[in-house]
Amino acid sequence: MGVIVRTGARATIPLIGIFGAYIVAHGHLTPGGGFQGGATIAGAGILFLLAFGLSEMKRHFNKNLYSALEGIGGLAFLGAAMLGIGTAFFYNVLWHNGPFFNGKPGTLLSAGYLPIMNLAVGLKVFTGLVSAMVGLALYRRWRK
Amino acid sequence: MMEQVFFYATLIVMVAGFISVLRIMLGPSVPDRVVGVDTLNTLVVAAMILLGAAYDRTIYIDIAIVYALLSYIGTLAVARYLQGGLS
Repeated sequence: MGVIVRTGARATIPLIGIFGAYIVAHGHLTPGGGFQGGATIAGAGILFLLAFGLSEMKRHFNKNLYSALEGIGGLAFLGAAMLGIGTAFFYNVLWHNGPFFNGKPGTLLSAGYLPIMNLAVGLKVFTGLVSAMVGLALYRRWRK
Repeated sequence: MMEQVFFYATLIVMVAGFISVLRIMLGPSVPDRVVGVDTLNTLVVAAMILLGAAYDRTIYIDIAIVYALLSYIGTLAVARYLQGGLS
């Protein structure tokens, strides 16, 4: 699009990304969490595609990297759920007697495995939504 | 006592929102409706912040910020489509 939209996108994309990261990181304290923050960061990817066009997006988008990161997000969620398998599945062992993430409730480093799971879900949602959007944009040209 | 003021201000913003919904329903052309939706987005952000003040919750401002950022992307997507689409 025009130069105004492109310059505005250069200023807005880091803002949206940082705010989405804030939503993901504070998922156990404020409204939001993994999915909402991931969808917000994916909004930054959509803004990049809209402002700079498909050819620029094709140069910066790596299909294998995004596919691998989506799988890593799912595996990290499962790994955090497996930490307390000695007691039960999804047992929050980091909160009960873990080395970290066991601060006072209401602070950032509390709530056991919840920040890890929020990060994993945010990564998975961001990479999945951006991959789906680029796939739709690349699908086919209308007239050829 | 202070909260009453914010509820009345939200009511005024809601009246303006209904007027812009009227423009979205009646608008003869597509750009009229797009401008109506853009106005409604801004009014919804204002109403969210006023309601956050009325209920005395600081956390509600976060949702207003996210809505303001994402409504901009939505308007941009519609504008890009009306200009001839991607590519």
